[in-house]
Amino acid sequence: MGKLAWRNLLRNKRRTVLTIGSVATALLLLSLLMSILAAMERAEGSADNRLVVRHAVSLTFDLPEAYWQKLQPLQHVQASTPLDWFGGTYKDDRPQNFFAQFACDPATFRTVWPEYRFEEQEYAAFAAERTACVAGAALAAKHGWKVGDRIVLKGTIYPTDLELVLRGTYTEPSAPAAEKQILFHRQYLQESLGNPGTVGTYWLRLDSPQSIPAVVQTAEALFVNSSAPVRVETEKAFQLSFLEMLGNIRMLFGAIGLAVIVSILFMVANTLAMAARERTREIAILKTLGFRRPALMTLVVSESMAIGLCGAVLSLLLAMGLLGGLGRFIEDFFPVFGSVRLTPAVGATVLALGAVIGLVTGGFPAYDAARLRIAEGLRRLA
Amino acid sequence: MKLPLKYNVKSLFVRRGNTLMTVASIALVVLVFVGVLAMASGLSLSLRASGNPLNVIVLRDGARSETESAFDKERQRAVQALEGIATDVGGQPLASAELVTLQIFQRADGKESNVSLRGLGPAGTALRPQFRLTGGKMFEPGRGEVIVGERLAQRFPRLRLGERVEFGRLEFHVVGVFTTGGSFDSEVWGAMEDFGNAFRREDVSSVLLRAATPEGVEALVARVEGDQRLRLQAKPEIEYYADQTTATAGQFVALGSGLAVLMALGACFAAANTMYAHVAARAQEIGTLRALGFRRRGILGAFVLEAALLGLVAGVCGAVLALPLNGMSTGTTNFVTFSELSFTLRTSPAVLLQGVALAVVTAVLGGLPPAWAAARRPITALLRETG
Repeated sequence: MGKLAWRNLLRNKRRTVLTIGSVATALLLLSLLMSILAAMERAEGSADNRLVVRHAVSLTFDLPEAYWQKLQPLQHVQASTPLDWFGGTYKDDRPQNFFAQFACDPATFRTVWPEYRFEEQEYAAFAAERTACVAGAALAAKHGWKVGDRIVLKGTIYPTDLELVLRGTYTEPSAPAAEKQILFHRQYLQESLGNPGTVGTYWLRLDSPQSIPAVVQTAEALFVNSSAPVRVETEKAFQLSFLEMLGNIRMLFGAIGLAVIVSILFMVANTLAMAARERTREIAILKTLGFRRPALMTLVVSESMAIGLCGAVLSLLLAMGLLGGLGRFIEDFFPVFGSVRLTPAVGATVLALGAVIGLVTGGFPAYDAARLRIAEGLRRLA
Repeated sequence: MKLPLKYNVKSLFVRRGNTLMTVASIALVVLVFVGVLAMASGLSLSLRASGNPLNVIVLRDGARSETESAFDKERQRAVQALEGIATDVGGQPLASAELVTLQIFQRADGKESNVSLRGLGPAGTALRPQFRLTGGKMFEPGRGEVIVGERLAQRFPRLRLGERVEFGRLEFHVVGVFTTGGSFDSEVWGAMEDFGNAFRREDVSSVLLRAATPEGVEALVARVEGDQRLRLQAKPEIEYYADQTTATAGQFVALGSGLAVLMALGACFAAANTMYAHVAARAQEIGTLRALGFRRRGILGAFVLEAALLGLVAGVCGAVLALPLNGMSTGTTNFVTFSELSFTLRTSPAVLLQGVALAVVTAVLGGLPPAWAAARRPITALLRETG
């Protein structure tokens, strides 16, 4: 029986290939969309015990430097560090030259982000020099930077340009997106601005995730009646808030995905209907020979399942190939997000969808085949 | 001799079920493509409608948007004293010093976005002739009053007419709703001094100037940028918003094109399948036509035309399906200004035509190989084939 299903698939090779092709392209599109969405929602590299403290009104307002001394002694806070988003331009405005630039405090940065891996000598050189910077390994590789290179960042948010010297690189295996940043001295930025004494955000590392509610409450209460009230949230919530600003991406992708699935259903159902029409007489003959309904239904459905699954596997292979190159392009384009890659969950979903497509589209002809009256089937012209 | 068009139309009808399925799958591709393009088109329309050809916007050197820009009032006064600025009936220069800040607000869907708060100078509304109130009254400076853009009021429950809202450290009263037909409809407007007080800001973000003559726009830009003491940049307002359009709408166009290419490729295979079936079913017919003296070229043309017709029908169906999207309102964040930008989807004729064109191209590409196969086969082989 399996052999017969196989032969049926090969009977009209061109048709089978075309159908698998349309299933594969449609599922490829779905797997790309799902991978992008997954990358967006993963909030890569966010530790569940890190909090960010920012101005309650919005990120365009800074906090006083004096807040640090009040935040550090709070109960459950193990480490804290200030961090500023510089947001300048490197070379030009093009999206491929965009990357995250942070002004940090080298003495305390690593107490809050212990997962960043530095060469100790390089980090020491970075910490010792006011205009030094360190870059993520991926970013340095992309721009071909070597230790000792000068990197000029033109200020857009801040009215100052910075001339930095690269003193080292770092890796962060759990968050490839973090390797696309550059870190430099907050002190250098402050001095070139005339020491305004302001900080964009403070980051706190807590003793455990269970302390989050208590720390959020006490930290917010600390500054509630001051000139700069704060908002305290988890690193993950902070990252996701940028995604939320984009609007209802999930719904947009969902609607597109649905249209794609319905569209494949039409295509495959169409092909299978053509195939089934050709075979009415054969099925009648098989019935005459004593094959039972379940066997005949299996025959028809296994053919459509094979098409659906072949399409799914092909689409996953293509997606894996494409995401190598395309993923980088997507990340350049939507720079706030993590790395786009094919996750096992996406792979499993696409395979399941392939099977479902096979089952649904094969279902109708299979039902027809099972119901077919032998005499009628034999009489029909192929 | 050419085959009549009627032949193709009729043959599409003969295999109705098959044709219908293919039409449906291509129509869905068109629907998605048109939908995403309609977003891009609505977004750019909203940004483009914000600029006035006589206006010049002045920002701090290096700043890409009003959100990033800030400079002191001394420089602001120097800008407003420049030559070439139009004056109102009272002889005052048509210039508005503005303070733009962002504040987080909750949207109707429970998520949050940054909302632009714009403090205007006295000439602020005169510089934007499209401005009109659609509800309530105009804000009065010094009384803690603001007006909100029409689109904002729809998307943010706390920013509706009559609400009391805290901006910075002061409470404001929403006394009116306005529209300008552009991106300002996603902003809150009040007096510059009031917002300055609320956020303890002594500086301004931008100055909007009206050039006295259309030729004066370039001269005004040159005058601001030529003054070394100012360290400010000037741009025609139209250009300022056009740059934001490229940056923001570009993402949607890229997304739409990427989707279209992939989906169309899938639909191409489906169209090929359908056309192969059409050709296979009519082998004898084609043989007869050839025997009657129709050329290979004529047969090829006829089948390509049939595929094009299939695509046209699908394209029109998809475009019609997409029509209800027109006027649907949604929002995103303009990442140049980092603030909420609401807009409505626009299924403009150009967008719809692009959708139909995609469908026709898809079907013709899918139909070419089968048409070629039909034209190439020898007459004897065709005639020998059974039904």
